[in-house]
Amino acid sequence: MAKVQFIKAADVKPWLAELAKEHRVFAPSYDGEALLFRPFDPAREIVLDRAATMPPKKTVFPQSEQLVDFTYSKDPEDLSRIKIDARETLPSGSTVVFGSRPCDVRGFTMFDRVYLTEKTTDIYYKARRDNTLFITLACASIENTCFCNWVDSDPCDSTGSDVLAIPVSGGYLLETVTDRGGKLLSSKLLVDGESKKEEAEKFCEEVAGALGAARDLSQAPEKLLAVFDNMEFWDEVSAKCLSCGACTYLCPSCYCFNITDETIGMKGKRLRSWDNCMSAQFTMEASGHNPRPTKAHRLKNRVGHKFSYYPAIHGGVTSCCGCGRCIKSCPAGIDIREIVLKAIDFKPAAVEE
Amino acid sequence: MKYQQELKDSIRKALPDLDVVIAWSGGFDPLHATPHFIRREEDIDKLEIGPFSVHNLATYLPGLRGKKVGIVVKGCDSRSVIELLQENLINRDDVTIFGFPCTGVVDQSKIRKALGHTGKVDFCQITSQTVVVGAGGEEHKLRLSKVLADKCFTCQYPNALISDHFVGEKINPSAQSEAGYDDLEAFENMPLAERFAFWQKEMDRCIRCYACRNACPMCVCRDHCLAESRDPHWLSQEDNVRDKWMFQLIHAYHLAGRCTECGECQRACPMDIPLLLLKKKMNKEIKELFQYEAGVDPEATPPLLSFKMEEENIKEREW
Amino acid sequence: MTKNIYLPEMATIQEVIRETHNIMTFRVTLNNPEAMKNFSFKPGQVGQVSSFGTGEATFVINSPPTRMDYLQFSVMRAGEVTGKLHTLKAGDQIGVRAPLGNSFPYEDMKGKDIVFIGGGIGMAPLRTLLLFMLDNRADYGKITLLYGARSPVDMAYSYELPDWLGRDDLDTHLTIDAPYEGWQHRVGLIPNVLLDIAPSPENSVAVTCGPPIMIKFTLQALEKLGFKDEQIITTLEKRMKCGVGICGRCNIGTSYVCMDGPVFTRAQLRQLPNEL
Repeated sequence: MAKVQFIKAADVKPWLAELAKEHRVFAPSYDGEALLFRPFDPAREIVLDRAATMPPKKTVFPQSEQLVDFTYSKDPEDLSRIKIDARETLPSGSTVVFGSRPCDVRGFTMFDRVYLTEKTTDIYYKARRDNTLFITLACASIENTCFCNWVDSDPCDSTGSDVLAIPVSGGYLLETVTDRGGKLLSSKLLVDGESKKEEAEKFCEEVAGALGAARDLSQAPEKLLAVFDNMEFWDEVSAKCLSCGACTYLCPSCYCFNITDETIGMKGKRLRSWDNCMSAQFTMEASGHNPRPTKAHRLKNRVGHKFSYYPAIHGGVTSCCGCGRCIKSCPAGIDIREIVLKAIDFKPAAVEE
Repeated sequence: MKYQQELKDSIRKALPDLDVVIAWSGGFDPLHATPHFIRREEDIDKLEIGPFSVHNLATYLPGLRGKKVGIVVKGCDSRSVIELLQENLINRDDVTIFGFPCTGVVDQSKIRKALGHTGKVDFCQITSQTVVVGAGGEEHKLRLSKVLADKCFTCQYPNALISDHFVGEKINPSAQSEAGYDDLEAFENMPLAERFAFWQKEMDRCIRCYACRNACPMCVCRDHCLAESRDPHWLSQEDNVRDKWMFQLIHAYHLAGRCTECGECQRACPMDIPLLLLKKKMNKEIKELFQYEAGVDPEATPPLLSFKMEEENIKEREW
Repeated sequence: MTKNIYLPEMATIQEVIRETHNIMTFRVTLNNPEAMKNFSFKPGQVGQVSSFGTGEATFVINSPPTRMDYLQFSVMRAGEVTGKLHTLKAGDQIGVRAPLGNSFPYEDMKGKDIVFIGGGIGMAPLRTLLLFMLDNRADYGKITLLYGARSPVDMAYSYELPDWLGRDDLDTHLTIDAPYEGWQHRVGLIPNVLLDIAPSPENSVAVTCGPPIMIKFTLQALEKLGFKDEQIITTLEKRMKCGVGICGRCNIGTSYVCMDGPVFTRAQLRQLPNEL
């Protein structure tokens, strides 16, 4: 059994200050009205009693990152000969994220199956993933939009995390999840937490109960494919979609990206930046042909990818962690749960003889 | 909402001649509404209007060109419809407008704060003055006036300015004074460096999701936006304030004198960036220069869509 | 050290051939002699070609692995990257990430009769496999080529056509859409000419590539001729960025064109959702 420790709520900041000596530390604090994972600053209030506006996705998958750095240079003896020097620009350093939620961190496991495979390793992703540790806080604030229990998770799920912190009286119980997580728990501010274990277990039971009954999504992969060609279905569920990127960019498991070049004078960079499958440009071909020409096609792909294609490829795992941000932050109030359930319950109209 | 049944009846009568009627229905919890597309008779039952009918449904109209569309509008939304008509972005004959007297819509971020940021909402009861919310195991009694959107406090047009079917009695604007720009003053009085720092800070958290753009009824370039265009290449995809702010400035300039201040940009922003401030500033300038208010008169031409050899309030010869 | 899948090999353009008013062919070598020597790929595989500062686009390597003096890419001008590539000349530097994707099932095709049906720039991927088979001629049965374009001036690889027409071991048919002064070959749409040539489906495989409308009617013609879905091979095109199955835009349901394609049999395509 992994050892458990306890930290007093008041000691969280001093502990993070200790960790910040060795790592970049991120914790949730307000920027305007948005609760974001921001670099640890002792002067800022750390807010742990509610889910952050954004998951800490940027810590491992930056909104925009440089892949390649290139420089053009002219041969002084023959100005028509232009040399290009292109170099990779890999990230370095280690990061600790404090106060992420189980759903937030579980999102990275959806990335892992795609970015780190037998065939292909994305070394930029790997460099960050291997050097980012998550001290995840079990969820005490269940919201109407939460549905992690529909997608095989729960408010105390430690999947993908390195340390799991569970709220108990006076502070947090800290459970080691990975060896590297265990190494973060050597501070003198921590004390043995054995006596709080029972309370933590009770917390997890209660909070799981607060979620309400989970809906069975096991038929989703097949049922979503069954309605693939039913454009009337997709036109209706996507009618209110504005084709913006709020859902994808706030999603802990949305991992699609674009690659673009930017140059100034003789220097430039190749960037990888978040991209959004709700946008018409996402699949627009140079010829003008677009395999997903309407928002109905695009929303179909987003829902299909998460609840059908990804699970079909990756052993039944749904590429959704149930955090509910896409529902909460959609300017048009689209509820992805509703769409999936509608597909599951969809009965084709009886063919008339 | 008082006139809900009347509105439903009115829509029921018109529906046979329409492909779709856009209204609102209940959303994912008792505190949220969602746009509701009525295609069949049975869809009408779900219609709900009230203080959660925040969305400006006019945004959907240009995308439905060629269809016979019914739309339910608040007073402020009707101004967007007028603006779209002025710019020939929609066809008047194809649009059937249902108006009702609007007594204001909520600002979700004010409610969120008032409820102590809980997202566990069990019930909600609305009276003319209050919203009673059961959330996080407690009952919160919120005065409606504390949670209404800021725009509702200066609203001069609670009744649709254009409509084919108006349900209920027209009401007088609740706002004391003419829609003013008093709230801009504090910002305008800040020194340049402070204003600059303000936007640097606000734009820093932009995630470039373009919900602001897509929720805007007047942002009509849609899939041909400079934000993504590579040729011409206006913006880089870098995560920096310069590019994000550049987009907002171009967006705001293109909306000067066209923006009806519906506030959808700000409402849609998942990062709560005060985008309406920029738009209001532009509109204030337009009002001072051209005595023009967007989306009020279907026959008017927005000042920046017209040209005069000699502008009355721009004394170029005196420069 | 794990390979950086996003870092292109630097390459030099050795030769530029203007094929048609909108198609240019680039013959390139990798700058690193070791990388060039060790470069191996299979017919049908593609590469991401970069003009740094503009970006990358996907092209099939249309020279065969049996001729490794250079790697050849034919580029039809359509968008930003292709427009930029069309301004390049011999000696200019580009980036190449290759090989990517799957290949034609050339092993399974051994001992069979092969029918190539190419339209316009769709001839590019077929050229790779055609030349590969000609270089391994004994492995394959009768080879028929039907290559069509709008007009003679839209026909890429025109300098190679006399050789193809003259070979005894290759049955070449050329066609254009409408009569053209001086044209000595067939006139007519590819699917119609195909029905006229009427290759036997017996122990045959048909490989086709071209614009969507041509593919649509060519598939119908092949069906009429008795070709079964398993006997028809085509290659798909999608907007791609990463080329390695991550960035998420080229999928058709569960299949990623960049990894599981671009080569599919018609039977495989029928298994995919309808989103071409």
